Amino acid sequence: MTLPTFSNAHRLAIQLALRLALGAIPGLLLWSAQAAPVKVADVQGHVLQWDAPPRRIVSLMPSLTESICALGACDRLVGVDRYSNYPAQVNQLPKLGGIDDTQVETIVALRPDVVVVTPYSRVQDRLSALGLKVLVLETRSQEDVQRGFQTLGQMLAVPDALQVWHRIEADMNAKAADVPASLRGMRVYFEVDSAPYAAGESSFIGEILGQLGLRNVVGRELGPFPKLNPEFVVRANPQIIMVGQRNVGGMDGRPGWRGIDALQAQRLCVFAPEESELITRPGPRMAEAAGLIVQCLRRLDPAAPGPGKTRPRS
Amino acid sequence: MSPHAAPAEAPAAPVFDIALQQVQLQGHTILHAIQTRLPRGGWTAIVGPNGAGKSTLLRALAGLLPVQGRIQLLGQDLRHWTPKARAQALAWLGQNEAGTDTLRAAEVVMLGRLPHQAWLAPPSPQDHEAVRQAMLDTQCWDWRERPLNQLSGGERQRVLLARALATRADVLLLDEPLAHLDPPHQLDWLQLVRGLAQRGCTVISVLHELNVALQADRLLVMRAGRVAHLGACDAPDTHQALQQAFEQRLHLASVQGQWLCLPFALDSLESKK
Amino acid sequence: MKPTQLLITLLVAALMLLLLGVLVGSTGFESGMLTAPDPAQQQILWDIRLPRSLGAWLAGALLGLAGAVAQGLFRNPLADPYLLGPSAGAGLGVAFALVALGLSPAAAAFSLKLGLTGAAFIGAMAAMMLTLVLARGVEQTLRLLLAGVIVGVVLGSGTTLLMLMKPDIMRAMQVFMLGTTGFLSWQSAELLGPVLLLTLLTAMGASRALDALTLGEATAHSLGVRLGLVRVTLIAVLALATGTAVAQTGLVAFVGLVAPHLVRSNCHGRHNALLLLSALTGGALLLAADILARGLIAPQELPVGVLTSLLGGGYLLMLMHRRRTGGSA
Repeated sequence: MTLPTFSNAHRLAIQLALRLALGAIPGLLLWSAQAAPVKVADVQGHVLQWDAPPRRIVSLMPSLTESICALGACDRLVGVDRYSNYPAQVNQLPKLGGIDDTQVETIVALRPDVVVVTPYSRVQDRLSALGLKVLVLETRSQEDVQRGFQTLGQMLAVPDALQVWHRIEADMNAKAADVPASLRGMRVYFEVDSAPYAAGESSFIGEILGQLGLRNVVGRELGPFPKLNPEFVVRANPQIIMVGQRNVGGMDGRPGWRGIDALQAQRLCVFAPEESELITRPGPRMAEAAGLIVQCLRRLDPAAPGPGKTRPRS
Repeated sequence: MSPHAAPAEAPAAPVFDIALQQVQLQGHTILHAIQTRLPRGGWTAIVGPNGAGKSTLLRALAGLLPVQGRIQLLGQDLRHWTPKARAQALAWLGQNEAGTDTLRAAEVVMLGRLPHQAWLAPPSPQDHEAVRQAMLDTQCWDWRERPLNQLSGGERQRVLLARALATRADVLLLDEPLAHLDPPHQLDWLQLVRGLAQRGCTVISVLHELNVALQADRLLVMRAGRVAHLGACDAPDTHQALQQAFEQRLHLASVQGQWLCLPFALDSLESKK
Repeated sequence: MKPTQLLITLLVAALMLLLLGVLVGSTGFESGMLTAPDPAQQQILWDIRLPRSLGAWLAGALLGLAGAVAQGLFRNPLADPYLLGPSAGAGLGVAFALVALGLSPAAAAFSLKLGLTGAAFIGAMAAMMLTLVLARGVEQTLRLLLAGVIVGVVLGSGTTLLMLMKPDIMRAMQVFMLGTTGFLSWQSAELLGPVLLLTLLTAMGASRALDALTLGEATAHSLGVRLGLVRVTLIAVLALATGTAVAQTGLVAFVGLVAPHLVRSNCHGRHNALLLLSALTGGALLLAADILARGLIAPQELPVGVLTSLLGGGYLLMLMHRRRTGGSA
């Protein structure tokens, strides 16, 4: 078959047109991705979809707020809950109350495309009934946080969500390598509140401690945050005790506790309130949390080699 | 005898010397100026229409109310008696006395011995004897082991009377002691009081039942917070005061030597026939 | 059962429960504890289990006594030791102490020195003083009760407000509100013991007056009872007993309310028996609840207040049922 012959000018024109078209394709693709409908399923099995990735987001859980910001969508937040305080820019946003006293009216007035909550918020049904899209995500374990991260990445059409997560994990592993060898494998007791409430193996903090090579005296079978008999801690005789500043006072006055290895050797990690908040908050900053713990562990064994951070004791 | 009691004086010495200016309850003046002497011994009945202040006067005499004025018991200001001495000399029985229903009758009567019991000592043989006698006198000895809530109104009232009697005080102040008592028991009470008065006790009772009151040695007629009259039960001026107090709606008649009080005249009954 | 028989029964029960308390701990029921030669086990027995069991019994006895005093003084079978507000005051004191721990270093140091126990005690006493001031003295019973209710409600809402402002104290507050025997030590027992002796003896000294009060205040007065003195004394006993118990074990529910009712029918209206037996019953109740709290889900613990309500309430229900079906004695 023979093509009709074109003049040179025609050929040039066609080539130019083709080039323009080809050049425009990635742009078109990107634009279409931004504008493409998004469909995600949350932990309760609800399937939500939008015509385009949501541009107005309300988050009612600090760890979800941090996840959204870690995915680069911080500017899309229009409202957060009372306890979200990181990164600093979310403090400029309207604070919408806590789990029990969420300001439903204000949320509706903000006209969000999606409200991100955990399964424990009472406001979920109310918001759904008012016609808002509610995305329910779990934040209790590392696996939960990872899955939530991916779901959010899907919803926000962030292509490299998984890579962001891998970076966090790599950071974690690096921190784990910094744990002094002499402390590796030691029995640790993490007290969350006096009573005593402890962080067990299956809790978020417990998972971090596990990744750092420490053995939690509170096993998986006791649940994430059991209320223990103080006698149990005496029997378990932890070698390291981690506790918040508020609860450390009077610890060696507790009957029988004076003989605990950690107290005798003074292997105590006392965390200031902001540090405690960071450590106990599941979310994308878990590497930082691990970092705080490692920092303390290195202080307990100053002879350990490696990149010692010399930040002063807080 | 308690060191605070007045020494035994001439028989004419009053048991109560009352010089009251005012007695108020919750801002209202219930009793106005009262100046009178109640002689020792014998039975005085306080009568009067509703709201005359009879119970209030009795409470004041028992030392249960703050008063403006002075009341002397056996020659000494009521306020100067120690609580224990006063409780040994004077027993008071109130209207509608509360009672923990699960207490047994004998235990309630034993409480009347409190003024005589040493601080932590268990009941003495005298206490037991006093309780027994008091319960026999009021015919409630048979159910001494029964709790109060299992007794009828009349039975309960007799137990409470026994409580007042068990103290063996020289002065008995009884407020509506005949409540819930049926006529035979009212008669028993009458005889009991007569016996006490003969033994030298002073009994002062507030009574609604005018016919029983007219059996007393003395009548103290009250009206609108004041004492209208104090005198013998068969004296004409006492009768006059009584009729005045009840706004002439009483009629006193002598039937077989006893004075009776009726709310209507006998001859008006006659005219109905 | 006669009072003396009941007395002996309760004393024997106390000893048996103490024994049980020593055998039950974070490993559940261990019959070999007493004869274990292991020094670690011995330490657990002497330093942890024995003082905890003893402290629980003493605190329960204080609450039982306070309950009997409250019910006798106010002539109300529903009265409990917390009536005049010490519970709300203790709660507020603890809330303040917990908040101070997170404020400035100076505030934290002060709070630590005082201890949660000290803060609770001061709070309880202050609340009762406030009630007395509001009621303008001890003269009028009704005014006292109303003032106590007001103080309780107002201080309670103050505590709630503090919890809202500083939500991280919420878990510790919940532990306090539900009662806790976890950290009772020999120090606690050394405090609770003498206070129990003092309050018990004082209250029993006023038992005659309480007997007379059952006939009403007017009759009691006519029987020679010095009502004013008796009221002041018994309210002081109430304050000291409740304040000390609450400071050590938090707000244990129901012991003070129910202990007197469990023994009332055996006492035949005599308060000297009722006060003593209520104390012994309260002690047995709290210690039994403590043992169950430790033993049921060992090594985890239930809040002891939950168990006192279940045990006390359950037994009371059984008594009521028996009375209804069997007829009164």
